[in-house]
Amino acid sequence: MSVMDTSEGVFMGMPRARAVALTRWAIVATAALALELYGRFFADPAFMQPVSAILRAWIDPVLSDARIIRALMDAVVEIAVAYALSIICGATIGIAIGVSNFARKSFLPIVLLLYAIPQVTLMPLFILIFGLGAAGKIAFGFSHGVFPVIVNVVAGMRNMNPLYLRAVQSMGGTRFDTLRHVIFPNMVPAFFVGLRLSMTLTLLGVILAELYVSTGGIGYFTRLFAENFNPAPLFALIGSLATIAILFNSLVRVAERRLTPGARAPGKLNLSGAKSR
Amino acid sequence: MTVGDTLIAPQASVNPAISIRNVTQRFAPAGGADGVLALDNVSLDIAPGEFVCLLGPSGCGKSTLLNIVGGLFKPSSGEVTVAGRRVDGAPHPDEIAFVFQESTLFPWYTIIENFRIALKFQGAPKSERDDRAMEALQAVGMAGFARHYPSQLSIGMRQRVNLARGICVRTNILLMVEPFAALDEQSRMVLGEDLSILLAKTGKTIVFVTHSLAEAVFLSDRIVVMTARPGRIKTIVNVNEPHPRAPDFMLEPRFGEMRNDLFALLRDEIRQAMALQRDPLKVRA
Amino acid sequence: MSAGFAQRAIQLAFLILAGGAWYALTQARVVSPLFLPPPQAVYATLTRLLATPQFWSAVQVTLTTIAKAYGIAIVSGVFVGYLITRSRFWTDVLEPVIAGLFTIPITLFFPLFILFFGIGPASKVAYGATYGFFPIALNTIAGLAHADERYLRAARSMGASGFDTFRHVLLPGALPVLLTGLRVGFFICFASVLGGEALSSIAGVGRNIALSAELMESARMYAWIAFVICTAVTLNFLMTFIENRAASYEAAER
Repeated sequence: MSVMDTSEGVFMGMPRARAVALTRWAIVATAALALELYGRFFADPAFMQPVSAILRAWIDPVLSDARIIRALMDAVVEIAVAYALSIICGATIGIAIGVSNFARKSFLPIVLLLYAIPQVTLMPLFILIFGLGAAGKIAFGFSHGVFPVIVNVVAGMRNMNPLYLRAVQSMGGTRFDTLRHVIFPNMVPAFFVGLRLSMTLTLLGVILAELYVSTGGIGYFTRLFAENFNPAPLFALIGSLATIAILFNSLVRVAERRLTPGARAPGKLNLSGAKSR
Repeated sequence: MTVGDTLIAPQASVNPAISIRNVTQRFAPAGGADGVLALDNVSLDIAPGEFVCLLGPSGCGKSTLLNIVGGLFKPSSGEVTVAGRRVDGAPHPDEIAFVFQESTLFPWYTIIENFRIALKFQGAPKSERDDRAMEALQAVGMAGFARHYPSQLSIGMRQRVNLARGICVRTNILLMVEPFAALDEQSRMVLGEDLSILLAKTGKTIVFVTHSLAEAVFLSDRIVVMTARPGRIKTIVNVNEPHPRAPDFMLEPRFGEMRNDLFALLRDEIRQAMALQRDPLKVRA
Repeated sequence: MSAGFAQRAIQLAFLILAGGAWYALTQARVVSPLFLPPPQAVYATLTRLLATPQFWSAVQVTLTTIAKAYGIAIVSGVFVGYLITRSRFWTDVLEPVIAGLFTIPITLFFPLFILFFGIGPASKVAYGATYGFFPIALNTIAGLAHADERYLRAARSMGASGFDTFRHVLLPGALPVLLTGLRVGFFICFASVLGGEALSSIAGVGRNIALSAELMESARMYAWIAFVICTAVTLNFLMTFIENRAASYEAAER
């Protein structure tokens, strides 16, 4: 059985970890090459263009058009603001709910109910209320990002070994000491699980709203390029946004690695958010 | 009986149930260096119906040896024969049954389903499976829990059932890896007593890995004391007491003496093992 | 008064308060009915909507799209996940790639789906299926590749064949994680199809919400939203119930 394979050592004459990384890059390179060849020789240029053409379009017009740069910068600011708001509000609400059993049992079901709503249906409403500018996009990103923070903060405060609490009490610690030295450090890994998921969802919310508003910003340019059957700059614009998304995600990961006390946090992605086993 | 009666050479049995010959196990590390020598040239014969206990400090390779005998690991060199057949990294479920340290009852099946699966894996005819399962459950006094899920039982009950699962496949050999480790001391004594009675009846050959000195003395015919890594046989202690053994055996002076002798034998090895844990690269020549 | 009762009372009070605030704000004309129409108007619109064939044809379009997208996501996700876990090496190579891609909002690529598949339901099927593929594939991998080593060893010692091990050990062990993946995948499909329809389409529930907003028919938009939310919450309860049932052996643990 392959899963019982215990050979961790050497793979094709190199350390296994290097072989894994190398294969990963080989897949990326092969995919890029395949796209290039497909785009160059087989594809309808109205729908698909080779990677080289996309790279050219990335330099011009995407990176040389001040309006596109502006739109990308706006998106970055919106993501950052929405994410910051999600963390601040999410952590505050999460701590308020998680601090006592009574509060948790009373309010967590309400939060979970709101979390279960497909927020995308509210998108037109958000834009209607907050307008076509940055405010609507930030609000919509925030509505996506805040819930995973709340839920994971509450979970992190709950998954607490009662022995630690008793230890602090026995050493004469106050209630504040308990929060400061036991509950918060213990919460950090779950908090970062929430932050990672929150980043993914904030990105989703802001970009959804950006695409929805087609009168300006990124939504305008994607529509412009798509309607003119000009796929190279469209791909380049999307690629730029993907890069921004990757950078934001990496930022969260670096912060997690730096700021988690003691052991590294479990690297597993909490897909459901609500359910941390 | 004292340590003076020990046998270092493999016992020359006419028809051993299990024959271990010069088994060496080396685990290759990730870096490509020499690796860890877990077992070094171990030879041992185990007679049919014998209850043998492997005793030694953590990391001495006793579990590895058991896994090799059971065909779960392939030794780096040396060979193991069971009932005249060579075990070479492939399990022989018709000859050997395992009872693992952790309760390895599949949590997604009820107790009776767990037994059916074990019997199905072994290739037992479908018509017999339920009868054999119930018989084994009755033997450990757990027949009333056949339709429960493992998670609905206490750890002690689970371990009883786990033991019964090893018995229901009716192999001649039972290999047990610290089967009582998860239990509290009282429960393990009661379960040990039950085991002694049960196995005296079935006449199985048993190899047993444990950390508990009392358990080793109470249950075994022979105790194989192993050294810290690399695992070698340091000495073999005989326990001359017929099965089934009553709890009174534990009250006899010789029980305490044997336990103390074993501890004296093990103490240096345990210190060595602890030193190895602090500095894993230091291997005694 | 027991704590459980008090908590239910607080939850109920929250809902009543929210509803009451909605009613009071609209009655007092504090907010424009354009942003927040009165609840009775939304209710009236909803009952009227429910009686129109246009409503049900829009629901049918969306449900068909979701069903197709989800079907493709399940088949491809489980199949790809299974194939990858056949080898430990490919699991190590590809699992982080799929997990990494999933952290990028696939929504980014939505314009490409429109470009390739047009403005009709096909683009929403493709978009929903792509989004739903990720959690299903990732949870299939998580369930199959990270199976408990103890159970596998026990099965091997009992002489289980490769297929037996898959059927009786790997699959039941992976089932809880797999079902979570299917549930999460469903809601991602659901939300993606609605979102896709709102972004760019000619029919469907999402399109109707967006259209109502464009036409400033707030009561109509709220009615649609209320319908979707009720559906989603009901489905969520239903799927969580099925999931807990199917993995009921876990419930008794701890």
